[in-house]
Amino acid sequence: MSFREKSAWISAVLISLFLLSYFVPTLGGHVSGAQRLHHFLLVVLTFATLEIVLHAVIAIRSPRDARAPKDERERLIALKAARISYYVLMVGALSSIFTIHLGAGAARIVGHMFLSVVVAELVRFVSIIVFHRRGV
Amino acid sequence: MSCAVLNRIKELRFDRDEMTQQDLADRIGVTRQTVNAIELGKYSPSLEVAFRIAAVFGVPLEQVFQFDEKKGG
Repeated sequence: MSFREKSAWISAVLISLFLLSYFVPTLGGHVSGAQRLHHFLLVVLTFATLEIVLHAVIAIRSPRDARAPKDERERLIALKAARISYYVLMVGALSSIFTIHLGAGAARIVGHMFLSVVVAELVRFVSIIVFHRRGV
Repeated sequence: MSCAVLNRIKELRFDRDEMTQQDLADRIGVTRQTVNAIELGKYSPSLEVAFRIAAVFGVPLEQVFQFDEKKGG
């Protein structure tokens, strides 16, 4: 497995955990008010720390692969994955705006948009993994 | 997902003192996984990389890559 694919796996798993640990309690009403900011910061800091640590581990285990620039196939995979995630982001963003007409307040709209960004990123990393596995 | 371009890279590698995928990758400037993807037909290389592969083996491009007209459509 290449360094880029390992990196994508790490990010995909961590984003999935982020989705579960932040949005499920928040949208389920288990976290509210002042706790929400504290919960958000805790989850983001944990996510960032794990991203850095796990990427450092795979970089230390394969320093040459980590330092090497993307080759043409990896660049093509990155571009195709970004295109797919762009469509997901656009659908999410437009549906977030549509919630205005359903009476959603600013906080809910921002929450929907944030969810769209996170889901789009998850789709991007999953696409990278699929292209590495199945071919591009 | 298989490409319309077939290749004999694995055969040529073994004919060259069993050259490894990593060795070929280092010579043409891609990752070992990209060489593997090319050999398995999961990726069609650019013209530049294709010419580099042919140059490594010292053979014309047509002896490395062949176009499958049935898959090409």
